Amino acid sequence: MIVITGIGIVSSIGTGCHEVRQALLEEREGIAPVRHLRTIHKDYPAGEVDMSNEQMKAMLGIENKETSRTVLLGILALGEAINHAGLTKHDIQTAALISGTTVADMDIVELQHKVGDTETGDCGETTQRMADYFGSWGATTTCSTACSSAANSILVGANLISSGRFERVVAGGSECLSRFHFNGFRTLMILDKEPCRPFDASRAGLNLGEGAAFLVMETLESARQRGVKPLAVLSGWGNACDAFHQTASSANGDGACLSMTKALSVAGLKPDAIDYVNAHGTGTPNNDASESEALRRVFGKCMPPVSSTKAMTGHTTSASGSIEAVICLLAIEGRFIPPTLHWSVPMEDGLEPVSKLQTNRRLKHVLCNSFGFGGNDTSLVFSEFDNSGRQGEPSAARQVYLKTAVRYADIQADEMPKIPPMIARRLSAILKRALLTSLVLLQRTGVSSPDAIITATAKGCVADTLSFLDDISLNGEQLLKPTHFMQSTHNTIGSLIAIHTHSHGYNNTFSHGAESLASALVDARMQIEIGHAKNALVGLHDEQNEICTVMFLSDEGTVSELLNDKKIKTLCGDYCH
Amino acid sequence: MNTLKETLKAQIIEALSLEEMAPADIDNSAPLFGEGLGLDSIDALELIVLMEKEYGIRLNNPTEGKAIFASIDSMADYIEKNRKK
Repeated sequence: MIVITGIGIVSSIGTGCHEVRQALLEEREGIAPVRHLRTIHKDYPAGEVDMSNEQMKAMLGIENKETSRTVLLGILALGEAINHAGLTKHDIQTAALISGTTVADMDIVELQHKVGDTETGDCGETTQRMADYFGSWGATTTCSTACSSAANSILVGANLISSGRFERVVAGGSECLSRFHFNGFRTLMILDKEPCRPFDASRAGLNLGEGAAFLVMETLESARQRGVKPLAVLSGWGNACDAFHQTASSANGDGACLSMTKALSVAGLKPDAIDYVNAHGTGTPNNDASESEALRRVFGKCMPPVSSTKAMTGHTTSASGSIEAVICLLAIEGRFIPPTLHWSVPMEDGLEPVSKLQTNRRLKHVLCNSFGFGGNDTSLVFSEFDNSGRQGEPSAARQVYLKTAVRYADIQADEMPKIPPMIARRLSAILKRALLTSLVLLQRTGVSSPDAIITATAKGCVADTLSFLDDISLNGEQLLKPTHFMQSTHNTIGSLIAIHTHSHGYNNTFSHGAESLASALVDARMQIEIGHAKNALVGLHDEQNEICTVMFLSDEGTVSELLNDKKIKTLCGDYCH
Repeated sequence: MNTLKETLKAQIIEALSLEEMAPADIDNSAPLFGEGLGLDSIDALELIVLMEKEYGIRLNNPTEGKAIFASIDSMADYIEKNRKK
C-alpha cells in the first residue's frame, strides 16, 4: 500500500494547503489579468501565482538572479510537502525526488534569447536545483510529457515504491508561465480571452496558470516506522497513449479511456466505486468533448460527480497533475467536491459537471485525470485511508531481457524505411532519426506496435524550440508558427513513434541530463517486471552529436540477454561521460 | 485572380513545408483537407498565420477557417474580398 503523508502546493488560488483549501471552499478563482509575465498579449487572463520572483527569493533566502520561477515555485511546494510529512534530511537521503516540467527554466532563457543563440533550457537542471535546496537525495529524475508530466512523476514514484526500489518518493511537478508557451498556446488558438468555462457549451479555450505541487508517498510500513499518519492512499495509476495527433485528442477519447481503465484496474475498483472525478477539463472545445466521451465509455450509467478545477487555477500545464492531485486529497480530507466555475449551459453530448460546491460528501475513491500533448494520458486514483492496513502482495517480478539495440548511425541505406512525405515535411532532424531508428528496430524484432514507448532526452526538440524562440525575437510575439511550438515539447518524440506505430500503451519521457537514459531503462524494466507491458521500446535521443539509439526490452529472452543494473550502467556509460 | 491563386499556392507550399510539391500539383477546386491534399488542424492554424502575414486578414476563431480553407478557389475568393494588403 502506498500512502500519502505530506502535500504541498503553490497556485493562483493560494500558497500552501490552507489557502488553497479556503479558496476551494469559497469557490474563488485565481484567473486575472497578467501581472508578472512579460508579454504583449495582456488581453488573455491567466492564473498567476500572486508573488514576484523577488518576493519568493526573499522568502527562500535565494540570491541567485537567474533562478527560474519554476524552481522557486517548486521549492515552495516541496518545502511544504516535506514539512507536512515530517521528512528529515536523513529521510531525504534515501528518498527519490521526481518532478515534472516542460517549460523548465525557459522564463530565464527567453529573456536573454537572441536570434542564433542555442540555449533552450534544461528540465533536469530545474529539478536538480529544487532538490539541492533540501540536501542530498537517494535519486532525482524528471518526467517531461507536457501537461501530464506531474501525473507521470507520481505514477513513476508509485512504481518505484511498489517494485521495492524505494520506500519513500516525493513526486509532483512545477511550471511557471513563460512567454514561450503563452505564445505557443495562443498560436494553437486555444486560449480564451474570458475566464475559461470547462464543459460548457460556450467554452472557447483555456486560461493558462502556473504553480507547483508535490506529494510525499511511502509504504505504509515506512509511515508507521516514522510515526506519521497517512492522509490518503494512492491506490491506482494508469498511463496510456491516445496515439492520434500531437495536439488534438481523438473524438472517442481512446487514450483517456485506457488510462482511466488501467488506473481502476490497478486500484482493483469497479467504475461505480469512484465518488468523484477531477477531470482534465481544460475548457477547449476538443478536450472537453473527447474527455466527456471517454468518461461515458468508462462509467456508462454510473457517472460519478465530475468537475474541472482549472476554471479556478488555470491550466498549470506540467504541474497540473500534482496540483489537481493535491486538490483531490484536500477534497477527500475535507469531504467536499470542488465546483467547475462558470459552467451554465450543457454542451452537446457532453457531461454536466458539478458547478456548485458540494459539502458533506464522503469521498472514498477519487479519480484524477491529466492529459498531455501527443496524447500522453495519465489517470490516478486516490482513496481514503481506511486503517485496515491491508498490503497488496507484490507479485513475483518478471525477468527483463535486452533483445536488441539499433543506432541510427549504423543503419544501412537499404534498410531505411520511407516516411510518407506528408509526415516527413514537418519533422526536424531529431524527430526523423528517432522515428526511422524505431521503425528499423521494430522491423528487426517483428513487433509492429510496442507495449511501452519510453524516451530519454536531455534537451528534447531543440531545433523547433529555437525556431519558436527566434520567431518571438524577430516578430515580437506576432505571426508565430504553431508547428514549431507543437513540436517543441520533449514528448513529441515518444508520441510521434506512438502515432506511427498505433501504440496505445504506456508512454513516458525522461529529461534529466545525462541520467535520462538510466531513468528510462529503470522505468521500462518496471513496466515489464510488474506485467503492465510485455515489451518496451526505449530510445535515447539528443541533437547534440546526433545521439540516437533505440533498444528493445522484452519479458522473453535468454540468460545472456538479461538486463541488470550492471548492463544499464554499461549502456548508459557512453552517454554519461 | 489567377495570379493570386498561383501566388497563394507557392505561399502554402512554403508555409506548410510541402517540399515535394509544385504549385501545378495543387488543383484549384480540390479539397485542401481530408481526402484532398490531406492537411490537418495544425495546417489550418498555419494557414491562418499565412493569411494574416501576407494579406493582413485576421481570423479570431479557428472554426471560421473551415469554409475559407475548403480549396484554393475558396481561399483566393475570401482573400480577394477581405485583404488589407
